[in-house]
Amino acid sequence: MLYPEIVIVGCGNPLFADDGFGPAVAEEMMKLSLPDNVKVEDGGLGAPHFIFTLLDPEVTKRLIIIDIADFGAEPGSIAKFRIEDLPPGSYRDAHSWDLTEPLERIKDQIDITVIGCQQKYVSDPEMEIGLSDEVSKAIPKTVRIVLDMIGVDYGTTRQCLQEERQRGTPETCGSTEIR
Amino acid sequence: MSKVVEISPTTRHEGHSKLVLKVNDAGIIETGNWCSITPVRGVEKLAVGKTPEQVPKIASRVCGICPVAHNLAGTEAMEASIKCEIPKDAKMLRHIVQLGNRCHSIALHDILILPDFYIPGTETKINPFTAEEPVRTVAKRIQRLREISQTICQIAGGEAIHPSNTRIGGMYRNCSELAKTKMYDLAKEGLVLAHAQSEFMIAVIRNYHKRDFVDVGGMKVPMVKELGYHNQGYLATHAFYGSSSQEECPSWDINRFKEVRPWDWYMGEMEVSLEEPRYPIGGTTKIGTKVNPQMEACTGIPMYDGQPVEVGPRARLAVYKGYDEKGTQGQNIAREMEYQDCFYEMIDCIDALNPNGKVVADYIPDGDGSLGWASNEAPRGTDVHIARVKDWKVQYFSMLVPTTWNFATCSAALKGAPWQLAEVIMRGYDPCVSCATHMIVIDEDNRLVAQKLIE
Repeated sequence: MLYPEIVIVGCGNPLFADDGFGPAVAEEMMKLSLPDNVKVEDGGLGAPHFIFTLLDPEVTKRLIIIDIADFGAEPGSIAKFRIEDLPPGSYRDAHSWDLTEPLERIKDQIDITVIGCQQKYVSDPEMEIGLSDEVSKAIPKTVRIVLDMIGVDYGTTRQCLQEERQRGTPETCGSTEIR
Repeated sequence: MSKVVEISPTTRHEGHSKLVLKVNDAGIIETGNWCSITPVRGVEKLAVGKTPEQVPKIASRVCGICPVAHNLAGTEAMEASIKCEIPKDAKMLRHIVQLGNRCHSIALHDILILPDFYIPGTETKINPFTAEEPVRTVAKRIQRLREISQTICQIAGGEAIHPSNTRIGGMYRNCSELAKTKMYDLAKEGLVLAHAQSEFMIAVIRNYHKRDFVDVGGMKVPMVKELGYHNQGYLATHAFYGSSSQEECPSWDINRFKEVRPWDWYMGEMEVSLEEPRYPIGGTTKIGTKVNPQMEACTGIPMYDGQPVEVGPRARLAVYKGYDEKGTQGQNIAREMEYQDCFYEMIDCIDALNPNGKVVADYIPDGDGSLGWASNEAPRGTDVHIARVKDWKVQYFSMLVPTTWNFATCSAALKGAPWQLAEVIMRGYDPCVSCATHMIVIDEDNRLVAQKLIE
């Protein structure tokens, strides 16, 4: 099978400054030694057609998407979203898929979480490589959150998250609360 | 009297484009303009001063659907500039990745065009997502073909979407004997499925074009025999892969290429005077809207010997295999005919691959500033990258992507067709218009309200 039980996808385009957050987290996670049932993928711009429409719900049970989001918080803040929280059209390839939404089709069979990082600067339409400092600093925290979600203890993971929880709520990982 | 109709955005392809059509009283297109409204901006500038290793990675990010073609063309343009010949086994691995990407792309294109067609012998349009037979079997086959192709890309290329195994001078790693066997087994399975898939597709494509009328959003539209015909030429640089040497590939000569501005080619400012709310997915643009393809089109018009040319599967078959079927029908059939050939070629490449062979060149020069180019036959046509590398720094980089070639050619092919079928003609080119990025946007109350497409 191309995609195993747990799939972690970093989405975005590194050519548009902070939009490269997802692929940057994926790159960090690929350096880790993870269990065989976990696959980390740099989805780039192609996740809707290369990944979301190729998941087999009989095999894949969990999908974690890492992306930037604008939720009015401090740059670098991280929040978790469920598919139900997302506005219609998220991860829809608006011009490719006849306006169908690949995640809507699989959300009842696969547990999907989106980890969104508040961006500071997206350079589009101009191309610019490199994350802002704030977003760059969110990478290790995001890696820890993902590792905690998939139950992988990579040394300091759980302890750090417990510290986070004392400051914020578990769902917002110590950042802005999403109502 | 001519009327103007606009279809924006066009759907079921990658990227963001639109069609502006001047039609006569019978609804037949007199002049058609298909233009991109999301250009690839600044990649050339961004590349200057970077190392040759970085630029193919940057190039592969301009597009969400053909990162493989851009990665390979970018890498080989650098190698052509520094004059580095890569070992045979590295070449084989690259061929395998490229063919895997094409086999995935054909399957994806099948899903995108299927809703235009009918189940033969019925008046039912095909919904690729239905659970009913016979479509269910086809959809499962398409999914398996995509899975096989992506798995092969992943084994040979390191990653399924953005190949991480390619490097200047060859590949980082060869694959194991076991991985070679796995690719072989997958390719053999894919070949059988590709055979069945192309037979099915050719049947539904022929069925569609034989009809007197077809349905578009509840409108009965007359089918024309010459749908999508044009008199432009074809350009292809290899039956499967590509080239970076004019000796090897005399059909591509950079001196015969020139690019003109869109305003020399597209129509000027007009007002939409025909609106059709029944047209699928939200209707056409409202009457009174100002359109100006000359100013809105974001791509230049590439010319070969002074004319726009067609690139893609039909061009490859016409140049290398004497294929002569024309129009949208011929184009879609050519793509299906390539399907089995791609798997046969892939099996040959896997056969020829020696897992113990070296995959990195012994000597990788720093470059003396010579101009190098590489073409890669991406699924949708010839992708040419041009580079100049000196002292391991990129001095010049340019990308000539397949759909850019096809914009003007497809625009010419729209003439004479009912305007409701313009998107069918456009989809025959399997367009891949570089796509915008996206992010999730939440309003001041911290509630998610809309997704903004940044354009």
